[in-house]
Amino acid sequence: MKKNWKGAPAAYFVLILCGVIWLYPIGVALIKSFHLNGFDNYKYVLTYEKISYFRVVGNSMFIAITTAVAVTLITTLAAFAFSKMDFVGKKIIYGMILACLAVPVAAVTSPLFAAIKSLGFLDKHIGVIMPLIAFNAPMMLLMIKNYFDTIPDELLESARMDGASMMRIWYEFMIPLCVPIIANVLVLTFIYSWNDYLVPLLVLREQDNYTVTLAAQYFMSSTYQSPTDVARIYAVMMLLTLPSILVYLVSQKFLVSGITAGSVKG
Amino acid sequence: MKKLGKKNNWAAYLYILPLMLLSFAVVYYCIIRTFMTSFTDWNGMSPEMNFVGLKNYIKLFKDATFWKSVTNNVIFFFGTVFVQAAVGFFLAVLLKKKLPGSNLFKAVYFMPIAMATSIITAIFRIIMDPTNGALNQFLHAIHLDMFAVSWLGDKRYALLSVIIVNIFQWMGFSMITYYASLMSLPDDVYEAAKIDGAGFWRTLTSVTFPMVKGTTNVLIILGIVGSLKTFDIVKLLTNGGPGRSSTVMNVYLYEKAFKDFKAGEAAAIGVSILIIAMIMSFLQVKFGKED
Repeated sequence: MKKNWKGAPAAYFVLILCGVIWLYPIGVALIKSFHLNGFDNYKYVLTYEKISYFRVVGNSMFIAITTAVAVTLITTLAAFAFSKMDFVGKKIIYGMILACLAVPVAAVTSPLFAAIKSLGFLDKHIGVIMPLIAFNAPMMLLMIKNYFDTIPDELLESARMDGASMMRIWYEFMIPLCVPIIANVLVLTFIYSWNDYLVPLLVLREQDNYTVTLAAQYFMSSTYQSPTDVARIYAVMMLLTLPSILVYLVSQKFLVSGITAGSVKG
Repeated sequence: MKKLGKKNNWAAYLYILPLMLLSFAVVYYCIIRTFMTSFTDWNGMSPEMNFVGLKNYIKLFKDATFWKSVTNNVIFFFGTVFVQAAVGFFLAVLLKKKLPGSNLFKAVYFMPIAMATSIITAIFRIIMDPTNGALNQFLHAIHLDMFAVSWLGDKRYALLSVIIVNIFQWMGFSMITYYASLMSLPDDVYEAAKIDGAGFWRTLTSVTFPMVKGTTNVLIILGIVGSLKTFDIVKLLTNGGPGRSSTVMNVYLYEKAFKDFKAGEAAAIGVSILIIAMIMSFLQVKFGKED
């Protein structure tokens, strides 16, 4: 493909320029996080008393993994019915769930807060997980259902003839055939839940229960006037973002194709 | 098309039950309660609430801050979507050349999406500090002193700064969407354009861009949806200020609900958002299918 080399210097110029701009904020944060005291800035964060770094990361991990697994499970089950079965009210129910696609949690905060409170879920992780599952599910249902639609019915019909139950068809045929989209949904839901700020803000109170996003703001609300404070804050941000960057690097392929599956094939 | 099993498969309801229960118990419950409370004087805490008719809506429509926040949502939408789409499209075209190192660039541009807004805004708040921030120090160093403004503390620039940070975080989304769309285009179109003697810019504007129109439409819809969902980036960068200069609808709603304890008025804002959001859900599915 020789033709692609035409204009390569100009292309590299733009790509590198944008690359520098996009790396700049994170680069500044990373370099300045070692300012003055080097690794001691990191040690300060890791041994900080009021908020335990490992606890906070553990909380976010628990919330994001539980949400991702639950969303994947309930949407693959539902998508199977919407894609491969006939039942009364199918179109209406599917439409009603998809109507929630663009509904922002922020628009319904007071009833959500009141409901979580009356259920006794305030300051509990389940109070974060439940809304996250419910509000992430419509998008993921759309993605999985579109993918299920591409699996030919005949393939499953023959299994049906052999006397396999629907449940068996679901986990012995559908799930293995749809591993790519399931991986997309898992990773996408994980990242979206990990990064969520509003739901934890509404629900969680005790610092022991904080997520990464709440912890970041906890450190921001303390003063950061002296250069030492700034360096420490940068170290906090680097440490708090590290797990999601690692997840991103490992699962980049799925995250990227998940985003495209969600928007292009919509 | 014949589906598996019987015409009306009762078992199907069992498969959709968990999702349906959650959707109705959480999302629809919240939507319906928001509609209901928008006609009351509920404070969000006490069990007491009185029906007040359209009072909240009338008050809202006379409220200059509400309209300011609506305007800011619109400005935010135009400011983010078109820049993100333009930069994303251009970078996608360059990445499609598949020069060595392309994947590395793609990973860099996309990385902020994997980072929490809470963390990105924290970093930008320090970088955008007018005196000690790295951004202004850099601008002074290259003698662009006139651009070294008070990014987050000046009424004129606060919303612009929010838009800049949003572009930073979400440009990769537009880029990757265009990239996927470009990869699915047949190569012979380019060949035809080349034979016709069209140059790089000509091919870009009159061949490539029109062919990804569907993607652009989807990105515009998602941009409206994104603008409606905008909360944490504003809340955490400027908290809507200084004054009301960067307040968006969700931030104003949050303030009404949890600072002023006027859940009824907050719900009226919520209803305005919900109506637009549900229309957008429909368009998102519709335009997505056409693409």
